[in-house]
Formats: sequence, structure tokens, C-alpha cells
Amino acid sequence: MSSSESTVRTRPNLKWRVVDIAVASAIGVASAFIYWVAALLYTPIGGPLEVLLPGLSGLMNGLWLFAGPLAAVIVRKPGAAIYAEVVAAVLEALVGNQWGGAETFLIGLVQGIGAELVFLFVAYRVWNALTLTLSGVVSAIACWGYTFVTHLQGFDMTGAYGMWYLVATVISGALVAGALMWYLYIGIAKTGALNAFTSGRQVRGMGR
Amino acid sequence: MTVTEEFEAAPAAAGGAASPAETLRGAASQGGNARLSFEEWGYRHASRRHFAVRGLNLDIPPGQRVLLLGASGIGKSTILAGAAGLLGADEYADGEYDAEAGGGANEKAGAANAGNASLPVRVQAPARVDADGGMSEGRILVDGVPTQQARGRVGLVLQDPDAQTIFERLGDNVAFGPENMNVARGEIWRRVERALAAVGLEGLQLHRSTLHLSGGQMQRLALAGALAMRPGILLLDEPTANLDPDGVQQIVRAVGDVLEAQRCTMVLVEHRAEPWIDLIDRVIVLGLEGGTPDEGTDEDSGEEVHASTVSQPGSSPVFRRTMIVADGTPDEVFQNDSIDFAGLGIWVPQRYRRAQDAISRIHSVGEPAYPPEKGIGEPLLSTASLAIGRGGKAIASDIDLVFRPGQITALVGANGAGKSTLSLTLAGLLAPVGGRVVASPALQGDAGDDAPKDWHSTELASRISYVFQNPEHQFARGSVLDEVMLGPLRTGADETAAKAIAISLLERFGLRQYAGVNPYTLSGGEKRRLTVAASLAAAPRVLILDEPTFGQDRRTWMQIVTLIHGLRGDGVSIIVVTHDRELVTALGARIVELTPQGAYGEWDHAAETTPSDAQSSGGRELASANPPSTGPLPNDFLAAQGLDAHASDCDAARIAVSPVNTRDEAPRPSSSSRFLASLNPSFRLFGGFLASLPMMLSLDWVSATTALGLELVALMAIGFTPWRIVRSTWPIFIGAPGSALAVLLYGKSGGAVWWQWGMISVTDRSADLALATGIRILAVGIPAIIAVLGIDATDLADSFSENLHLPDRFVYGGLAGMRLFSVLRDDWEALSASRRSRGLGDENRLKAFFPQAFALLVLSIRRSTMLATAMQARGFGGAGPRSHARVAVVHIRDYAFLAACLAVPVIALVTAGFAGSFAFFGG
Repeated sequence: MSSSESTVRTRPNLKWRVVDIAVASAIGVASAFIYWVAALLYTPIGGPLEVLLPGLSGLMNGLWLFAGPLAAVIVRKPGAAIYAEVVAAVLEALVGNQWGGAETFLIGLVQGIGAELVFLFVAYRVWNALTLTLSGVVSAIACWGYTFVTHLQGFDMTGAYGMWYLVATVISGALVAGALMWYLYIGIAKTGALNAFTSGRQVRGMGR
Repeated sequence: MTVTEEFEAAPAAAGGAASPAETLRGAASQGGNARLSFEEWGYRHASRRHFAVRGLNLDIPPGQRVLLLGASGIGKSTILAGAAGLLGADEYADGEYDAEAGGGANEKAGAANAGNASLPVRVQAPARVDADGGMSEGRILVDGVPTQQARGRVGLVLQDPDAQTIFERLGDNVAFGPENMNVARGEIWRRVERALAAVGLEGLQLHRSTLHLSGGQMQRLALAGALAMRPGILLLDEPTANLDPDGVQQIVRAVGDVLEAQRCTMVLVEHRAEPWIDLIDRVIVLGLEGGTPDEGTDEDSGEEVHASTVSQPGSSPVFRRTMIVADGTPDEVFQNDSIDFAGLGIWVPQRYRRAQDAISRIHSVGEPAYPPEKGIGEPLLSTASLAIGRGGKAIASDIDLVFRPGQITALVGANGAGKSTLSLTLAGLLAPVGGRVVASPALQGDAGDDAPKDWHSTELASRISYVFQNPEHQFARGSVLDEVMLGPLRTGADETAAKAIAISLLERFGLRQYAGVNPYTLSGGEKRRLTVAASLAAAPRVLILDEPTFGQDRRTWMQIVTLIHGLRGDGVSIIVVTHDRELVTALGARIVELTPQGAYGEWDHAAETTPSDAQSSGGRELASANPPSTGPLPNDFLAAQGLDAHASDCDAARIAVSPVNTRDEAPRPSSSSRFLASLNPSFRLFGGFLASLPMMLSLDWVSATTALGLELVALMAIGFTPWRIVRSTWPIFIGAPGSALAVLLYGKSGGAVWWQWGMISVTDRSADLALATGIRILAVGIPAIIAVLGIDATDLADSFSENLHLPDRFVYGGLAGMRLFSVLRDDWEALSASRRSRGLGDENRLKAFFPQAFALLVLSIRRSTMLATAMQARGFGGAGPRSHARVAVVHIRDYAFLAACLAVPVIALVTAGFAGSFAFFGG
């Protein structure tokens, strides 16, 4: 991990290349595919969780948040998190899912902005397990906020359900969309698939 | 390696000299073709320690057709990518990265040291680092202009048809290049038509989906895409490596026609050059200074040198230098006896083959006495009236085959004929449509059943193993050693035994030194050997290999063939799915051919090439009697064997399959409502927002019910039946009751308490809110889904670009990514099948999901990296203006649609206001 943890002191190259766009959108597309499979698992797993503790189904939410942080840490360009989440959402919308068509687009945008904020805050220079975890957390809060403002108006946001749902979503975002994505990124980089990226070459000890 | 020239300006030999034909061509071209020159050019990929190519000086005059030969990893693809202007783009200012580019500096020193005294002293061009982190030296000129600035002058066609198909619709792929060059719309479509006609695809509809094209058609489409840019230079990077013989002929013919008509300059890289030779003026052979390339330097497939095969960086790097070994006309080069083509990894075209170049049936010391096409003993696996197909539709039926120990069977036939369907069915990975696949008692052992499809995954792994065409579909572990240990571990061996098995297999396959390496980082040939080793580790009695020799150079080809041949002695029944005739020859395999009904098989009358029909009748005797040292077998011995086989007892077979689907496709409507389908996609998306989002202002049953009612009326008015509405939006009908129930139990409370238990409190208010929530989910979801459902992604992208003026790079980059979705679906299926074949299929779905998702992500990133190259090769991503081949129109009715969408929530909310039920955000 130490070899790949990076606090880039030099000016990072923030200009998007074609390969950055292609890979960010592929991550969005592959994520949409995984979101779709995860949606099939939602009912059999989310239901029992709700019975165990109301609001606990928020633990599943991280499964729909990971495209942003993953694309960001791989591509490392401004807007990568938003872009990947929006691509995933557009695809989901066109295919149709239980969260509604056009609206999926909006959810994706909100979650992507959440994930992006953290990287913007560190000026796209600090890439490590911590910033990724934070990115997952902020994305999760955005997801929770959006859900309560829209579909879960029937709940008291600050009540027990709302709080448990928040805690569950944040934990899930931090672990699944944050920390796990850091290790996933390192795993992918070790396959050599990211050799076209600074992020990938760092993991493999190839310098920039 | 005797002829060694330093890279130098083109020799006068070959087509370089102005033959009369040349002059004619030049006159006819009217500047249509271009000169390509490399000046001291070199490139080092960011992930490499060595320059892939360095100090290259080469001049290719306009109209010349060059064949570039060399082993995998020698730098051919780098040269073509450089010529296409794909390398060294967006360069940083010199020196900015000097400190970090230390490796390069070392190498320069190394170069100087290693520099042979006889070499001319070269003036070192300044190295530049580009945005990809690569380093380039010297320059490449197209008619005197640096190639990066000669956008559209150079067309590049790559190996993988899948990676070059950028969009879903056929016509859009061809229009893409001209769009990027800002060609006017009318002219774009004229070019599309001409380019498609030039490659023989003029009959196909422009809206046809590329999903339904054959490999040969897709490659011709890629060629048309390059041609539509009107390139002066055509670069072809192994354009036929992935194709069946028919597909190869299609491409060669298409390129031949194009060269005839347009006189472009051409540079071709291809391992199997025979079909191309008539088109070629000049052959350039690349080799390494001082020897053959190392294993693990398969640069062509994007992998890099492993630390274990090269010296450590920094200290004293081994200087690895690609150089021109021979340069001349085909006759001059291939008839030069002093060149060791086999040693250079090069296939000599059939017509030039000498004794030492020929591929004949291989034999080894200690191999079994029985012939490989027959095997020995009782069958291990057989089929009884088997019918095969996917999705329950049979493409072939009444298949009766047997597979014996020690037998090698080749399943052959055109791409898409159903070879993989048959082999997957035999492997127990696909259910038969009819009839049975039967395992003999010897193969079945203690498994519960004699049908492989019904076996547990672990039972299957130790009996029948399947090696997938794409090794990356198969990898399941993080190191080479673990990968090979997986099979034994899954089938009951303990850690020590598994390790012993794995180590001995790695020794045998020459992979021992990579035990700790990540499998994905191996070179193409190594990956292939690893997948075979890993499949064998579980000691299967039947081994099925899908296209094991695909795209290999001659050396790696020989390694793989020798390996397969060596398995015969273990009593394994081997089935290879292939269209590689030389593989079948070398293995002496029995042929089972799949041919479309009513068509002739291609494998009986070997129409191809060369000598002596006279000898063919004696082919088989010759085959078994001839040790390789006594000389080559006639090239068509194979065909003779095929003919013979029909009459003999080695049960070769031909299986009739239903013809590959070539029907026309009607354009797919973008909605089941004609009205919706006629709207602008962006307006549909915004309409979905307008109809649904304002509803969030109030959570009450009055507004929700009103909106739902209005929506149903409106939808029925534009042609939806209630049943169609439910079918299109079914997921929310599952979601709505669930959410309503949650609100009922845990929602905001107030009024009379109906029931209280722990966190649960059902009250008047929560009941109200639950009802409102349930209805509102429908009222919000139905229009939001139906408005966008079925929108064609391409239309949406066009509208984003033209109506909303979002940046084209992101819009069309995203659109190209979306086409991967359907490719990934196939990948997912292959991943599932390979996991079952490897003994991992019995795990529960959740546990299996994550490793499979990982493999999918790696695949998608690799695919998109190649996609980016293909898009850049068509001029995408530049800063200049872009034109649009398609028009995204906005009509009055689009605005009317928006107004109608907004009217729904407005009416609903106003009604709620009058009814007094308006509840702001549920408050």
C-alpha cells in the first residue's frame, strides 16, 4: 500500500485524455451492470435487514455509490466521479429500474457530486484510503439526503429510522464505496490494466 | 540473423524504386497517397523500462505497400501507433520531467555503451514525455508534416473487431471519422456510402446493429471507417488475426480493391502473410539486435517485461534494440536463405516455404503408437442424438460423436457456425437442446450421473476442462502459482499435494519463474500456457481448448502446439476448436466440421495453395510413416486426411448447422408509443423530470392520486394500454408496497395509535403517509420511467451534443462506453461458465459475485483502453471543431410535451391545495 499511497506534490495533469474518458465511462457502464445485478439481490437481502433493524437496509446503499470514487482514483481528473456516476445512471435509466427512469439520472448526479467534493477539496492531489473513504461517506450522505427529501418524506429524518438509515448508509458508503474501492483499485492496477494511468503505474512501481 | 542493417533510409530495392506501375499509381493518385517517413524515431511506453523502438529511420514512398514482419513484442504495433499519430500527443515541455525520466537517461548511457563501433554515430534526438507518460524521440512525417498534425491522413485498422466497433449502428461507425474531421454532413454520408461499397458492405442497412455482424463483416466495417477519412496511408495491424479463413479472404479482397482504386500507401503487420503476398511491394523484417526477443515482452498485447526476465533497472540495463533485419521485395526477402525466419518468430508464406519453414505433423520421442485422429480404447465421452443451441433454439441436431482417450479432435467451421456452442455443450457448460452428452463409466467415476451438465462444478473440473479463448475470462486467483493450485484444491487435494502438482506443471510449461506473478501481467503466449496448465492441474480426462493458437507468432505457436501434442501420452482426449489449418496438420487431428446446411465444407477440398495433388492420396500413410526430420509433408496432406477420414474408421464428421442469420432488421422504435418515439430524447428526459419532480413538494394522497389518474389518461391517449404500462414499470410496483409498509411501521407518527411495538408505531398519520407514499411512488415513477424507456443511446447523445451543447468528447466517449454494455453481458456469461469449469461454480451466488465482478471490471477497463485507441485513430479527441452526421431536431411538439408534463403535477398539487391535503415535503 505504501508504494501506491501518494500525495502528489507536483502539479497533477488535470487535462482529460481520450483514454481517461473511455475508461471512466467504462467504469460507469460496468458499474451500471453491477448495480443491476445488485438490484436483484436487494429484495432478498434488504428485506430481512429491515426486519432485523429498521433502516438497516441502508447497508445496501454503498453498492450503488462505488462508481464515482473508483473512477476518480483511477482516472484522477476533475469531474471523474460525477461523470462515471452519471454514465451509470443514464444507462440504468435507459434500461429501467425500480428507482424510476429519468430520476435515476438525478440521483446519480447528486451522488457523484458528493463523491467529487472530497477530491476537489484536496485539489486532486491526495489519493489514499482515507480520501476514498471520505468520498464514500460524503456520497452516502448525499444519497441519504436525496432519498429523504424525495421518496422517504414519510419518515422523520431525525427520528430513529432516519438516523439508523443514515448510519447504515454512511457505514456502507465508507466501506463499500470508499475503503473497498481503494483495495479494488490496487487489485486492478496489479493486473496491469491501468498501465496507461499514473495511478496504475504507481501501484506497480513504475514511477509516473 | 545474418543480414543486419542499421535502420536507414529506404533501400533502393523493392518498390522503393519507381517501377512503371509505381509511376502510374503516383500519377493517378493526385496527391491521394502520402509518403511516410520515420526520422530517428523512438518510443518508450510509460510502463516499460526499454524503448520499444529506437533510432528508426525508414522512408516509405507514396503508394508503396509494405509488409512489416517480426515476433510478438518486437515493436510492430508501436511503429504503427506512432505512424497513426497516437503516440507522443500533448507533449509536455522538454525537460519538465527530466528528473523522473531517469530511466530513459540511463538507457541513453546504456545505448551509448552498447553501441556497436561499426554503427554510425547517431545524433541523439531530444526525448519528450507525453501526457501518457511515454517518451518519444525523433519524428514521424506524413508528406513532411508531423503525423500528429496530419489528422485524417493516416487510417489505422486494428486486430480486434470488437475493440474497433465504436457505436451500435453500422453507419455511425463509418461516419465517425469524417465527423471528427469536421466534414460537412451531406459529404459524410456520401463518404459512408462509398466506403461501405469499397469494402463490399453496400447491401447492409445503415441502422443495422453491429451486434449481428460476423467477425469478417466487422473488420470490413472498421476498414470502411478508416477509408471514410480518405487516408493517404492505410495502416493495418493484424487485421485478420481474429478471423476465420472466409473472413480473411473478405478483408484481403476488400483491401486489394481499395488499394487498386485509391492507391493509398499501405503498411501491413500480419503473422500469416500468405493471403496478402500478391498485394505487397516490399517486406521489412524486424529482429532484435543480438538475438530473439525474450519471453514476456509481448508488447503487442500491452504487457511488459517482467523483472525476472530482464536485469534490474538502473544498474546496467540490457540494451534491447529492434532493428531491420531484412528489407526488399517479397522474392528477395523470402528467398534469402541466410535469414532464420523460424528463429525470428516469423511465418514464411506458403509459396516461399523451404523445408525448415514448413509446418508438418509433429512427432516426439515416446509418443503413443496409435494415431492421434483415432485415439485408443473405449470412448470417454459421446453424444447421442445431441441437438445444440442457445436459448432453446437448436442450430444443429442428431449429432453422434465419440471421443476416445489419446484422441485429438479438431472442431472446425466458419465463425459463428456454432463451434463454441457445441464445445460448451460437450464441456457440460451449456444444456443440450435435445439428446444427450454421455460420460462413459470411466469418466463418470463416482459422479452421480452420466450427464456432465448435471455434475457439480467440482466434479466437472476433475473430469472435463475447458480452456477459454480469452485467458482473462478464466483467471480466478492473484498469482500464477495459486491459479494452477486452484484446480487440485477444489477437487480435494491438500495444500502440499496441490502445490507439488502446480510446481511440476509450471516446470513443464516453462512458467516456473513466474510463480509469484499476477496472471494478468503475463504475455499473450504465457497466458495461454497458464490457462492450459491450470486446466490440467485438476487432472481432467477430457480437455477442450477454444482457439488455442489465436494470434500467436510462430515461436509461441510452436510452444503451444508441442504442449498439446505432449498431452496425448497422458491418455487425455483433446478437443480443439480452431480455424487454424496448420494446427490441425501439426497435431494430426481428426476433423469434425460444422457447415451451414446446403453449403460445402471448406475443409475437404483444400482450395488453398501449393503443391502436389498427386501425393495427397498417400497423405495418411505418409503422415504416420514420416518422422519430421525426413522432410516436409505436402501442404494439402491435411485435406487428404480429411477426405480419407470420411471413408475410414476414425469417425471424422460433418455437422450441418442452420445458416447464420442474415435477415434484415427493421429500425427499432424508441418507444411503444409513436408519439413518444417522435420526440427529441433530451425533451423526453426533461419531460420525465417535469412530470415527476414537482410531485415531491407534497406527500399526500390527493395530489398523488390526481397525478396518477391524469398520467394514466394521458398515457392511454398516446397509445399505451394499462397492461403495457404495468409491464414497462413493474419494478416500482414491487418497490411501492414495500416503501408504503416501511412508512406505515416506522413513519412519522401522529393521531390515534393503532399498534406500538419497539420501534414500530402504526398511527393515523403513518397510515395516511403510507398510502400517500405508495401512490406517489407510482405517480412519480410511471412517467419518469416511460418518458425515457427505450430512448436510443445514440439519439440521446446527439441531442445532448447538438441541443444541450454538452462537450462532444464526453458525450461520445460515454456513448462509446455504453456499447460495451452488451459486450460485458457476454463477458459475464463467459466468466460464469469458466468458473463452473474450474470448480468454483458451486459457491453461493453472493460469494461468487464479487470475484466475478472484479474480473468484469478488469475486462471492461482493458476493452475501453483499446476503444480509446480506436477512437483516437479516427481522429477523436482533438481540439478542433467536429461536425455531426446525424441531426437532433426539435419540433414544436417537443415544447408542447414539456408543457403537458408540467401540467400534471401542477394540476395535482393545486387540487391538493383546494382539498386542503397539501403537505409540504410530508410535513
